[in-house]
Amino acid sequence: MRRLTVDVVVIGGGSTGAGVIRDVAMRGYRAVLVERADLGQGTTGRFHGLLHSGGRYVVSDPESARECAAENAILTRIQAGAIESTGGYFVTCPGDDPGFAEQFLAGAKASGVQAREVGVAEALRNEPRLNPGILRAIEVADGAVDGWQLVWGAANSAREYGAEILTYHQVTKIETANGQVRAVHCRDLKGDQDVQINCDFVLNCAGAWAGQIATMAGAHPVEVVAGRGIMIAMNHRLTNRVLNRLVYPTDGDILVPAHTVSIIGTTDVLAHDPDDLEIPSAEVQQLLDAGEVLIPGFRDTRALHAWAGVRPLIKDDRVGAADTRHMSRGMAVIDHTLRDDLEGMLTIGGGKLTTYRLMAEHIVDKMCRKRGETRPCRTAEEEVPKAGAGHSHRVTDRLAAREADRADDQLVCECELVSRKMFVDALVAQPQASFDDLRRQLRLGMGPCQGGFCTLRATGIAVSEGNLDAERATELLRLFLANRWIGLWPILHGQQVRQAALDSWIFQGTLDVEHLPNPEVAVTR
Amino acid sequence: MSRVVVIGAGLAGLVAANRLADTGCDVVLLHQGLGGLQSGQGTIDIFGYNPGRVTNPIKAVAAETRRRVPAGSLSHPYKALGVKAVRVGVEYLKQVLPELLVGSVESNYQLPTAVGAIRPTCLAQPSMVAGDVAADLELAIVGFEQLKDFNPELVAQNLNRTELAGGGRVNARHLLLEFRARQGPLGSPREGELDSSALSYARAFDDRRYRVLFAKTLAPKLAQGETVGLPAVLGLQDPNAWADLAELLGHAVFEIPLPPPSVPGIRLNQALTARALSLGVRTVPGVRVLGFAVEAGRVVSVRTQPGVATRDYRGAAFVLATGGFEAGGLAMDSYGSITETLFELPLVGLQNQSLQADYWGDQPLFNCGLQVDAQLRPIGASGEPVYANLHAVGGILAGSSGWRDKSGDGVAVASAVAAADAIAKELA
Repeated sequence: MRRLTVDVVVIGGGSTGAGVIRDVAMRGYRAVLVERADLGQGTTGRFHGLLHSGGRYVVSDPESARECAAENAILTRIQAGAIESTGGYFVTCPGDDPGFAEQFLAGAKASGVQAREVGVAEALRNEPRLNPGILRAIEVADGAVDGWQLVWGAANSAREYGAEILTYHQVTKIETANGQVRAVHCRDLKGDQDVQINCDFVLNCAGAWAGQIATMAGAHPVEVVAGRGIMIAMNHRLTNRVLNRLVYPTDGDILVPAHTVSIIGTTDVLAHDPDDLEIPSAEVQQLLDAGEVLIPGFRDTRALHAWAGVRPLIKDDRVGAADTRHMSRGMAVIDHTLRDDLEGMLTIGGGKLTTYRLMAEHIVDKMCRKRGETRPCRTAEEEVPKAGAGHSHRVTDRLAAREADRADDQLVCECELVSRKMFVDALVAQPQASFDDLRRQLRLGMGPCQGGFCTLRATGIAVSEGNLDAERATELLRLFLANRWIGLWPILHGQQVRQAALDSWIFQGTLDVEHLPNPEVAVTR
Repeated sequence: MSRVVVIGAGLAGLVAANRLADTGCDVVLLHQGLGGLQSGQGTIDIFGYNPGRVTNPIKAVAAETRRRVPAGSLSHPYKALGVKAVRVGVEYLKQVLPELLVGSVESNYQLPTAVGAIRPTCLAQPSMVAGDVAADLELAIVGFEQLKDFNPELVAQNLNRTELAGGGRVNARHLLLEFRARQGPLGSPREGELDSSALSYARAFDDRRYRVLFAKTLAPKLAQGETVGLPAVLGLQDPNAWADLAELLGHAVFEIPLPPPSVPGIRLNQALTARALSLGVRTVPGVRVLGFAVEAGRVVSVRTQPGVATRDYRGAAFVLATGGFEAGGLAMDSYGSITETLFELPLVGLQNQSLQADYWGDQPLFNCGLQVDAQLRPIGASGEPVYANLHAVGGILAGSSGWRDKSGDGVAVASAVAAADAIAKELA
């Protein structure tokens, strides 16, 4: 059993938790973040990668629009390495109401979101694949953001301020005494030991899982309404900018160029279990149809991978307007003092990746007030530490790095330009990481071949340089292939079927990986 | 002399072209890409798993032909082909490639793979067979730091933890050598290539001076009696490079196939292509068949478009050897509609749920394909051939995923020879 004593325990390693741990650490609290899996493995890593300009909300939710516009500018300044400022267009597609543009422009003006109508000819010149039948186009400051880089940046910043980040630590119990939080008990899943973290405050940032955490502390059930959405990554950057349908927010209305791919999203369907998210073929078809409206021929481009994420919206009838501060629609802090007679815990839900820093500011402000302390938020003022080599969001930076070291290093993953050094450095820094953990940081296996060529190389390197024995390395290889398949089979068509068949010939045909001896205990992480 | 058009230059297409040329046909071989041999392991699988590990492949084929298949399910292509076709096909291949393939349909080799699994295969290249595992075999698995597709430590460790089918284990150790395929120019600050492909190594090993240098580096590190396992890069053009290296080392040597590009696969491809050319087969590379013409229930020509103009190839018979999904012979569009891409032939094995979530399970999609008659002609629901002179061979046939049961090469060779013989008989 490992014992720690801190001021604050942050539960959840998504964007909210990472933003919160950075904020509390910068305000001088001793803090620990616990996450049951890897950083950004939940909702944060399963969205479309859009850094909102606010345009999406200028008509439906002006308060969110204003927040997005402000936070977009802040994040672009403090986390430049995680962001690519592509710009965006809102376009009126054939059949859409051209009059909505007037509402949009008026809403943008009112909420301070930069927006400028451009001519259709100009839009088509800049985006040659865009539907030539568009009627209007409005330029906004949308961008692409890498959720993993964002979270790792915030987490690393928190570490510099003394915080500890404990991934693969599952909360097993929240200990209270006399109505006051005393400790968080965890299981270290990779180190296989129990951890007790004594504290007097818990910030519950578990997103779609926040209800489960609140219940552990003995609070009345917090109802999390989990809205499942699917996304599909298409090969190549089909556009230079983010494309949005100029309509009231609906399904499949956003296409984001990110890294080497373009991501279309999303749908919104009530999910019952945030740990069991399906990718129904009807929704895949819906997104492909929606893509076809924005980009004619979309269905003939190559779909690489799909995933489902879950929006953590909190619905709580027990809480009156007096004790919940609605910072905006979608962002809510639950104060368990009034609601449950429980001191030392706040739960946050809702929100968007773009406003993750602001959410953290709000919940930590609230905690400070409850503790009777005045410690101002400084997260908007200070840049997060610069990400290491090869950790930049922009694909062109990787190309430049490869130009420089092409004669000095091997490429492990040709699709995503992951060099041997990048892989080894990540492996050495995180000796217990699975290949999926490393993938989230390096993009290993996320390109067109979906791991067909890099996975065997990664396995070999893990044995030679990562101190893994062949059994574990082989199991990580198998786990990686099986996990890639989860996001492949629901969208498999066209050229990607061909790729999947080739990959099967490689791993099962040539290598016969399925017939290596099985370990006594299955490797799952 | 009758003209036969073969479409596709994988194992099935190349074997069909050779066999047809042997019988005196005027063969044109149209192909779009390089053919699947370059992506495979460079051995000939007949049956590796059924579903347990197979030691006698022809016996497994015979069992498969006797297996009762429930109505509505697909049968393995071997059931229609029969044991004799497999024997004839394999014997033919051994006869045309005597330097490159050894083995017997009665037994499988059990050969190490580049991840250290032990893989059954029927015919292997002579450069591989010293790796046929046996209890207490002393192995030195040797890799190159500059060749990223082969990690000898992973291979050796996985081999050591595998109990052999007949009991016991091999005893493998590994050596990772700093030995470059391409050296930098003399006096150059560059120290040669760090990220070499299997092909770069294979070309280097074609040069005897390189082999001598390599043997000098490796030999002192070997222990008495060790068998040396190397990545399959021991020569591309020189079929005796491996034997020469073994002699220089004074140790038995074997090659372990790598992921694509496959040097052993390229050897097979080159040998079959060279033989076909020597027999007068005309190959037309880099073309895709875009259309075809039919008269009185027979295909009379296929159309290509190598440049601006189209070009028709007429024939008395046609062999469709375009492969499965991996090769482009079959395709599935974004609506889930599955087609044979060239003649839009009727497919069998289509299911509502053609893919499933378990990566290690069977994926029905990859079992669908063409059903053929005794002359290997694709048939429709009525059981009648769709075109009287169109034959289909290889991976496009329904009923198996060759990568799972390791039967792809056997199906290709048996069907190609059977189709060629049916055509020769018909045209005689």
